[in-house]
Amino acid sequence: MSAVESEHDAVRSIDAGAAPTRFARGWHCLGLAEKFKDGKPHSVQAFGQKLVVFQSGNGTLNVLDAYCRHMGGDLSQGTVKGDQVACPFHDWRWGGDGRCKQIPYSRRVPLRARTAAWPTLDQDGMLFVWNDPEGHPPPADVTIPRIEGATSENWTDWVWYETEVDANCREVVDNVVDMAHFFYVHYSFPTYFKNVFEGHTATQYMRGSGRPDARPQEQDGSRAKTTGSNSVATYHGPSFMIDDLVYELDSGEAQCVLINCHYPVSADKFILQYGIIVKRSDTMSDNESEQLAAAMAEFIKLGFEQDIAIWKNKTRIDNPLLCEEDGPVYQLRRWYEQFYVDADAVRPEMTDRFEFELDTTRPVEAWQREVEDNLARKAAAAKTPAA
Amino acid sequence: MAPEDNRLTDGAPMRPVSCGQCGSRVLVRKSSWQQTSVQWNSEALRGCREHIAATSGPAAPAGLETCHALVATIRAATLNVTIEVLDDDRAG
Ligand code: FES
Ligand SMILES: [Fe+2]
Repeated sequence: MSAVESEHDAVRSIDAGAAPTRFARGWHCLGLAEKFKDGKPHSVQAFGQKLVVFQSGNGTLNVLDAYCRHMGGDLSQGTVKGDQVACPFHDWRWGGDGRCKQIPYSRRVPLRARTAAWPTLDQDGMLFVWNDPEGHPPPADVTIPRIEGATSENWTDWVWYETEVDANCREVVDNVVDMAHFFYVHYSFPTYFKNVFEGHTATQYMRGSGRPDARPQEQDGSRAKTTGSNSVATYHGPSFMIDDLVYELDSGEAQCVLINCHYPVSADKFILQYGIIVKRSDTMSDNESEQLAAAMAEFIKLGFEQDIAIWKNKTRIDNPLLCEEDGPVYQLRRWYEQFYVDADAVRPEMTDRFEFELDTTRPVEAWQREVEDNLARKAAAAKTPAA
Repeated sequence: MAPEDNRLTDGAPMRPVSCGQCGSRVLVRKSSWQQTSVQWNSEALRGCREHIAATSGPAAPAGLETCHALVATIRAATLNVTIEVLDDDRAG
């Protein structure tokens, strides 16, 4: 293809913009709930501050600002006493509602002894916090849907990973619309790709075929090979994605739920997390199901490491230059912006339904050729005896 | 000013189409025979029967991948060139 000359010939500059100065409104998953249920307060760096997560005696998980309003002690270094967290500095007791309940050495608690408390949700084995810079509680219709398999005997337990990424979290959200990177970065082969944004959800419908030339984890021949996949992945709010994923393997079909979620630490750092459960099937023993879940998690871990290598080195870009075979990056970001403005400043265009079906004809042709070339090169290399 | 999608500013914009079934007016863009963008507004969505069927009822909203009536309308509009296809391979 020839470049268009003359007036379109100017060098295009990158507008790197600036990461937002506030953190998204919405439910954020802090990880598996289990790890916070050991009777100790936990320190979590999120939304530009330090939080303390603790379980009160009645089993509820609570999230408070970690810094004690008395003299600034770090509550996450304290102890859980009954339903409260006790500060290590002077033993002031703070309840999950953010109120100081007791000062053992004082006759009474002073006025205004209240700290910031985050609404929490302990659901399907995960702990969620509601972040809202305006301090409002979550609206009734902004929820995280239940995941049936998470509490079912017919599914494996969560295999869960988390890792820290030095980038603004918009990078991970951009992936929702980025079809081509699934081929180049993740060794997948998308053949159908569609996005739908509506309200506070953003969905990616993707079907794919196998990559016999490339998947590194399938090259040793000992594992099941992927011949296709069918995925419906939805962000429920700014950070929590549920992906209903069916893998077609040469050994049969595997039904999975993949979680892809994150929470911001600061404007240029986030914690990326992913979890997977696999449905047990008649053709698989329990042990085989667990192994499959572990193998898939390993594969997904590899996928995120591939993303992270890109993010670490790339620039933020507010004005990506797109071809017609790219997804709706601008419209996704318009949707994403709803979480960064006050609730009453959300404009209809941010939440109005938008659909984008990609034409995969050309990508599939090009990638088919590339796969064949790779396979031919490998076959030729295999024939050449090692020196 | 916020940066804009170069495909809309340098190529074709979104164009209005009314669904043959429910009359909902949406904006549509086709860069090729397979590629389709559809922009709804809340009024159009309230009128779409398939959307109502998919998001009401006791089951949790499943989300609607597509409205088949609208797809048929867009297809017809493409065939009679009410919507222009940017990269019309048929023209050769
Ligand atoms: S600083 Fe927390 S009790 Fe004094
Ligand atoms: Fe990715």
